[in-house]
Amino acid sequence: MKKFVSKIKTWIGGLYRVYTHEFSLVLHDGGLLLFFTFLPLVYPVLYSLIYNPELVKDVPIVVVDNDRTPLSREMTRKIDACDEAWVRGYAADMNEARDAMAREKCFGILEIPEGMERKIGNGETAPAVLYCDMRLLLRYKGLLVATTEVMQDMSTELMTEQIDRVGPLALTLTDGNLLPIKNANMGNIQGGFDSFIMPAILILILQQCLILVVGMAGGAKHEDPRLIRYNPDNVSRSVLGTMIGQALCYMTIMFVPTIFMVHYVPLIFSLPMAGDVWQELLFLLPMALASIGMGFVFQAIVTERESVFLSWVVTSAFFLFISGVIWPRCDMPTVWRYISDILPASWGVEGFIKMNGNGSTLAQVSNDYTGLWIVTVIWWVIGWCAQKWVVRPEIKRWRALSSSAAYAMNHNETEGQN
Amino acid sequence: MLRSVIQMVRRPVMWCAMFLLPMLMFLFFPTIMDDGLPTRIPAAIVDKDGTQLSREITQTLGGMQMIKLTESLNSYTEARHAVQEGRIYGFFMIPENFEADLLAGRKPAITFYTNMTYYVPGSLLYKTFKATAIYTKAGVAVNVVENVGVNPSDFAGLMQPVNIQARGIGNPTLNYGIYLCNSFLPAVLQLMIMLVTVFSLGQEIKYYTSPHLLRMADGSIIRALVGKILPQTVVWWVMVIFMTAWLYRFNHYPMNGSWFWMIVNELLFVLAAQGFAVTVFGLLPNLRLSLSVCALLGIITFSIAAFSFPEQSMYKGLAIFSYLMPVRYNFLIYGNIALNGLPLYYSRIWFCVYFIYIFLPLPFLGRIKKAMLKPVYCP
Repeated sequence: MKKFVSKIKTWIGGLYRVYTHEFSLVLHDGGLLLFFTFLPLVYPVLYSLIYNPELVKDVPIVVVDNDRTPLSREMTRKIDACDEAWVRGYAADMNEARDAMAREKCFGILEIPEGMERKIGNGETAPAVLYCDMRLLLRYKGLLVATTEVMQDMSTELMTEQIDRVGPLALTLTDGNLLPIKNANMGNIQGGFDSFIMPAILILILQQCLILVVGMAGGAKHEDPRLIRYNPDNVSRSVLGTMIGQALCYMTIMFVPTIFMVHYVPLIFSLPMAGDVWQELLFLLPMALASIGMGFVFQAIVTERESVFLSWVVTSAFFLFISGVIWPRCDMPTVWRYISDILPASWGVEGFIKMNGNGSTLAQVSNDYTGLWIVTVIWWVIGWCAQKWVVRPEIKRWRALSSSAAYAMNHNETEGQN
Repeated sequence: MLRSVIQMVRRPVMWCAMFLLPMLMFLFFPTIMDDGLPTRIPAAIVDKDGTQLSREITQTLGGMQMIKLTESLNSYTEARHAVQEGRIYGFFMIPENFEADLLAGRKPAITFYTNMTYYVPGSLLYKTFKATAIYTKAGVAVNVVENVGVNPSDFAGLMQPVNIQARGIGNPTLNYGIYLCNSFLPAVLQLMIMLVTVFSLGQEIKYYTSPHLLRMADGSIIRALVGKILPQTVVWWVMVIFMTAWLYRFNHYPMNGSWFWMIVNELLFVLAAQGFAVTVFGLLPNLRLSLSVCALLGIITFSIAAFSFPEQSMYKGLAIFSYLMPVRYNFLIYGNIALNGLPLYYSRIWFCVYFIYIFLPLPFLGRIKKAMLKPVYCP
């Protein structure tokens, strides 16, 4: 029993030393400091600023009016009055309009057919056509919403008029709007782009920041300590103890930036924040742990501090799409869905969006929460293997190789502590 | 040059960055949105009326292409919980006494809710719900008019007298992949090109081999740089030609213009991205800092280059920066040539801009040379 207690004591002692020593290592590494400060503090602000206008308004269009009647002018006026569209002017014919579009003077052409008013008066249909530039879907969406609104508005008006003509009695029933259609956006009330994308990006930044930090710290372990000018050694006898010690250190440092991201960024930019911060933090705990676990695995393949840039930065785009915020996970090909399932950010993004946007409680996202814990265990197990069989031997090799005085001193110190 | 090739081939991280990761991205983006648009989005119906009319609406809704009615719930609260738990992306609500109120002219309202924290499914559900509601309205109007004794065929065009059809040029099916991959894949490549360029130059300084490189080039910085970077250029050229073929030939994305100019565009784009990276390195001849800058710019490009949110809608002060990166011009040229099939004339300026990027490093070559002669590695 006594032996057991003393064993635990050394284990905790080792963990504590790793934890405290890791802070001084982080302070010695400019790269890590940059990641810790720049990524979580500057990135969210930059992104939010880009998308902060939220809505795409006043998309310029050009009208080719072949009808030239009060009705066609009313249609043009009503479209212009919509928030989403702006009638830049009239074009004489389609050629002129197409040239304007090619020169990016406008992103849509409304072509009103000849005889539209006459045909409508006769009870026939004469569809007007809106040609949209398809480079950006948001512009298309804006124009589509504008035309749909105008179409409905004018149709209701004309319909009432005509019903009145064919059957005056019906007027009493159809007076005004026969069947009002209402809709409400949930979670992201104004349907803005910033409010949609930022919660996901915040979580991704958190994940990527932790993985990059752990990866870069691991890269240092593979390198000649003389080159990087500090000794990255920080190990206790137990592999798990070392991992926990380091993870705790990173999480301590990330605590304030995380609160900044999940609470203050939404506050500053008026993004949805329907969730409870305590519950959100509790939710993000396994997400942070899983990311660090993934970082420990990543350490096995990063052989140089700087190569984390080459091998990891681009994955952000990948993670954003595979998380299911843009393309629903239920509609992904099976292979990608499985890959999505083992990534911390996928669960993290889904759960956080629900909590932050739709005001779900932790219990309501229990599915994602459980997923995160399972993912955490998986990555920590693989991480343990990577540390035990790849990173440790590498550190030992450098120890054996190194003969510099400073290194030897440091080396003895760590050894003595153990 | 040979040395550069050997360095490239020997480092696994180079294989990873120049081949593996771009290939993964090429494969990922078009395949994940294989269907073009999400087709069966889970949604619910809250039918508090339970009459023939309300069931007809449910059936119409269930028959729509985009939607999959997974649940039939009894109250708003239940439906809201389903949204909060992520089981559905929206719901359609028919109020109590709907049919009776409607026929009595008491104007009951149909309400639908869409979860806009998920933009694409939310918007598609909005579209589907709205269409269903409009059909319902038209059906009711026919009913009403029939009831007063008028033959509905007398006013066929009456239900939707004014009709505006929206047509997307070049992408009529609203394929999300066409919209996304054409901008995102070049942006991924730009990021990788910049990182690899800076990384390979910085490595020389980190391992103090740059004086040797300069000696091999007889002290000419231009020869050293060209020799160092040209082998990478060739690899990137192969990659962009593959990308062009992959997108427009194998995935059948719209290619309405000239193949030749599109490929010239991609080749110049590689050079421009490399030129930009060398410029960054010239300004900051420090491996980690210049990599950080390239990573920052490369990642922020996905947003600032206005691939999803148009620059006209951004704050003016930020919109300026959308023209900072080479990939923006790649996107503009793609839109003009491949998507809209316009003649070269409309893209002439964008092609010229590439040359600015290519010659941008010239003023900074002296700085690079100085850094290479006296390599200092800052960790």
